[in-house]
Amino acid sequence: MNMKQITLSPRMTLTAVLLLLAVIIAAVPKNTTTPYKLSATQILDELKSGTQYLEPEQIAQMLVEKDPYLQLIDIRSLNEFEKFSLQGAVNIPLDNLLSPDFVETFDQDTKINVFYGNGTTQANEAWMLLRQLGYKNIYVLRGGLNYWAEAILNPTAPPSTSPNDDLARYDFRRGAGQALGGGEMSSTASKPAAGAKAKVPGPAPAGKKKKVAGGCS
Amino acid sequence: MGPLVVNEIISENTNLLLAFFIGIAFGFVLEQGGFSSSRKLAGVFYGYDAVVLKVFFTGAITAMLGLLFLSLFGWIDLGLVYVNETFIWSAIIGGVIMGAGFIMGGYCPGTSFCGAAIGKIDAMIFIVGLFLGVFIFAEGYPLWEGLYKAGFMGSPRISEFFNISEGLFALFVVIAAVLMFWGAEWAEKKFPREEY
Repeated sequence: MNMKQITLSPRMTLTAVLLLLAVIIAAVPKNTTTPYKLSATQILDELKSGTQYLEPEQIAQMLVEKDPYLQLIDIRSLNEFEKFSLQGAVNIPLDNLLSPDFVETFDQDTKINVFYGNGTTQANEAWMLLRQLGYKNIYVLRGGLNYWAEAILNPTAPPSTSPNDDLARYDFRRGAGQALGGGEMSSTASKPAAGAKAKVPGPAPAGKKKKVAGGCS
Repeated sequence: MGPLVVNEIISENTNLLLAFFIGIAFGFVLEQGGFSSSRKLAGVFYGYDAVVLKVFFTGAITAMLGLLFLSLFGWIDLGLVYVNETFIWSAIIGGVIMGAGFIMGGYCPGTSFCGAAIGKIDAMIFIVGLFLGVFIFAEGYPLWEGLYKAGFMGSPRISEFFNISEGLFALFVVIAAVLMFWGAEWAEKKFPREEY
């Protein structure tokens, strides 16, 4: 038999190789050798390094920009939630944290869940529990609502001799506070700065996925 | 284990440097593949040259199979790979605008730079139009901000939507791609063009 007769054309070879690889990948189970689970030591390390905290400025900026990734979660009681809450927040009191109703809220890797209470104690408790369960994208608003009121809604002006960074931060806070309906509106017709230009101080959230450029060639 | 940047195996700057070299190589290969000719690119819409379809689907299934196998071997954590978020209305309307521009202008954004790099005047004019569009979008942003951000769906995957495994979905895509390759080659024979 002539060898040429059984030689495959390039397109047949390509088709065969592609289909073979695809059948293999369809047949094998998904790799689950690296399940996401934290040990107590890892949680303690995270706790010590404070990676769970997001700064009020970061949250304020996301609120102003209507960032669709942000999901604020109010950990206080329904009563307190109804009196005052941050824009777009949902109320999940700490007592109901493990209710099956909320599994979908936590068990996802799209949105950034940011817990807040009056301080940080309850929010940190929620953070620890949920991290222990292996949920990602769980964060805590630094300082809670008390610090929010102080930093964003009624920021105090730093002395005019302060470093530029402090002044910029104050400008940002005042703009964001006005945009978010807090503080005293200045009577001048000056446009609320909305702070969007100000550089948000503080580290980037460690878990937030990096944006990469995509699109057509 | 990948992804290299997220796991801090390489820095953001190294990443940009690598992207620079990959970008140059990409542009070179694109040009060598004939993607700097608007007639060749537009051929996919008329059937006489399906190189666009072949190249993009080859790219897609190579990356898809590559990522799935790397994940199978434990070399990359697919959970950390960034998936572009879906704003459904932006995607549909933007796709229509992009497609119309592609048919009329004969280029897509990347290939227009490819064409301009070898001195094609139509490609340069296409780039002018591209920046015009960018400018109009940016200046009129308040007008279409609502539409731009409507229908946010996070980062859904088709395999999740149909509740099948990623591997099985990959198999379907490969079968579809192979069928399209054969169909495209048939069309090239059926609607040949002498010179373009």
